[in-house]
Amino acid sequence: MSGCEGPQSVFRTGGSDAAQLEHLFLVMLAGAVVLWLGINGLFYYASRVSARPVSRARVEALILGGGVGLPVVVLTALLVYGLSIMPDQRAPGDGLRLRVTGEQFWWRVEYWPEGAEAPVVSANEVRLPVGRRTEIELAATDVIHSFWLPALGGKTDLIPGRVNRMSLEPTEVGTWRGQCAEFCGLSHALMAFQAITLEEAEFGAWLAREAQGLAPEARTAEGYAIFTAQGCGGCHALRGTEARGTVGPDLTHVGGRATLAAGILPMTADALTDWIRDPAAFKPGVEMPGYDHMDPDELATLALWLEGLR
Amino acid sequence: MRTVVWTIATLALLGLLAGGAVVSFGLYNIAARAGHWPITAWVLHTTYRRAVDLRAPAPGTAPPLTEEMARLGVRHFDGACRMCHAAPGQARTWTIRSMEPEPPPIAEAVGDWSPEELHWIIYNGVKMSGMPHWPSVREDDVWAVVAFLTRVQEMDAETYADWAADPPVPPGAPTGLAYCAGCHGLDGRSGNARIPRLDLQSEAYLAQALQSFREGRRESGIMAQAASAVPAESLPALAAWFASVPPAPEAAQVDEDLAARGEELAWAATQDPEVPACSGCHGPEESEVRRGPGPALAGQHESYLAEQLRLWRDGLRGGGPAAELMAKAAQHLDETDIAALAAYYAGLEPEAERR
Repeated sequence: MSGCEGPQSVFRTGGSDAAQLEHLFLVMLAGAVVLWLGINGLFYYASRVSARPVSRARVEALILGGGVGLPVVVLTALLVYGLSIMPDQRAPGDGLRLRVTGEQFWWRVEYWPEGAEAPVVSANEVRLPVGRRTEIELAATDVIHSFWLPALGGKTDLIPGRVNRMSLEPTEVGTWRGQCAEFCGLSHALMAFQAITLEEAEFGAWLAREAQGLAPEARTAEGYAIFTAQGCGGCHALRGTEARGTVGPDLTHVGGRATLAAGILPMTADALTDWIRDPAAFKPGVEMPGYDHMDPDELATLALWLEGLR
Repeated sequence: MRTVVWTIATLALLGLLAGGAVVSFGLYNIAARAGHWPITAWVLHTTYRRAVDLRAPAPGTAPPLTEEMARLGVRHFDGACRMCHAAPGQARTWTIRSMEPEPPPIAEAVGDWSPEELHWIIYNGVKMSGMPHWPSVREDDVWAVVAFLTRVQEMDAETYADWAADPPVPPGAPTGLAYCAGCHGLDGRSGNARIPRLDLQSEAYLAQALQSFREGRRESGIMAQAASAVPAESLPALAAWFASVPPAPEAAQVDEDLAARGEELAWAATQDPEVPACSGCHGPEESEVRRGPGPALAGQHESYLAEQLRLWRDGLRGGGPAAELMAKAAQHLDETDIAALAAYYAGLEPEAERR
């Protein structure tokens, strides 16, 4: 079934939490099928196979046994099983901590390796090491959002004014897709993100690269001068430069992300050009203003330069 | 019952026909020369007075009406209102006195109206009287004119002439310079905190701002009048004139705590997720890399900066092609942010090189 595959499916899992949820679902489904068959079987038996009056004592036994006794036993068993896996779903992380903040309509992502004093800031993509349990703190700036990576685990809300937590333990290397799962405004459906799971050593190498500031050669390029002259640094940070805005996503390594604009566009120079010229055309209600007043050649140069920031 | 209904219906029909005849056959004499019957004049004037009484804001809601405001207001009055209401000590022309209704001399027009009522009248205008409404949706700059009007009844002709005078301009100056310089100063440095300094800005920015005012893309009743009173061909030359004066290295004394808070905001040190770093577009420059595309703010008058930020936040401040940037940037500012940012930029010494 095609609807059950792909990077955003609870049936194509890549982490222990999602596998557990999938298992829970299958157990529930199996139980439901058995009950459905049993009840309908009895109904069929009583109405078609052996349709005759039944004694009062037998009716009372059926009602008490089948209507009270059986549900108590079945539901208690399912409840105990369901409760028994809850601690696993909320288990504390074992090292790396992520802080994800929901914004209209994108994700601010901070990586806090153990013992770090300052985070490595990124956006709209989470990278997680396979085989480790990563603690994820969830916050929101404006309205309630919900962080959901169906292939890796359950969903948890991001609520302004408080910090929720969850943890994820990926078991398989891959690229997965997440989605805001709580209506958060005009472009709620366009608030997605990528999750990339990596072997631990590879993840460490990536994080070390991500922690670096803007490459010196990128700073001397024409794109940087355009970026600065257009005032992009008022909202976006390029770490290690004068651009230190905190309103929009950190762009220090924007070209290294798989998607643009929170999972809705490919990370190409063309898409960047279209997006910068008129973001609201792709994402109604977006905070970013349009730059349709820019010289088209300068805009193309800027987009190409941004795409090269890996 | 039936008879009553028929009578009323017949009378109503006759009334409609009579009214239609007056309009379509031109029976009513609209001649100003004919004047009004005393009863018509009384009805119209009483309607006017009662309408203002009903709609004007409550007394005591006017902001402090300072002399700085009055000195700006008198210049607007001189350019836009004097032709009908005449300046103190001057007579209205016979042409104006032949209007119907006749615009009263200014002291009489102010009469015993309160500042709030004067604000309402100037902002809204008066239908069928020749009194226009304020040429902008902005209400705040009307107070400058009100500040002048609250002083006009005691003002003598000499004071008025002194306040309203155009300064002498050098030969060959662009048309309209004397008029502009009357408020902004010949060097663009008005000493009046209500009137922005122009010596800080580049020629391109000033030209674009003048064009925005003229075309109604930027709101201000005072500048709408000014930018449309000066010939359009002259606007680029005026922009060039004010941009040719080197920025004076004057910075205002400001509240240091407030300015320090403003500096943190302007440089994104607060990590505020909703307020962009002002310095990203408005400087001041940290290095040789040009930051743009906003106008220079360092050294601008504090109250002017605060007023403009409020307009941006409230969606009343248009401008050039990049106006959307600032409209989005200012939408989450609160009063404390605005006061802090205005203090920070007003307290900075202007940058030598224009942006």
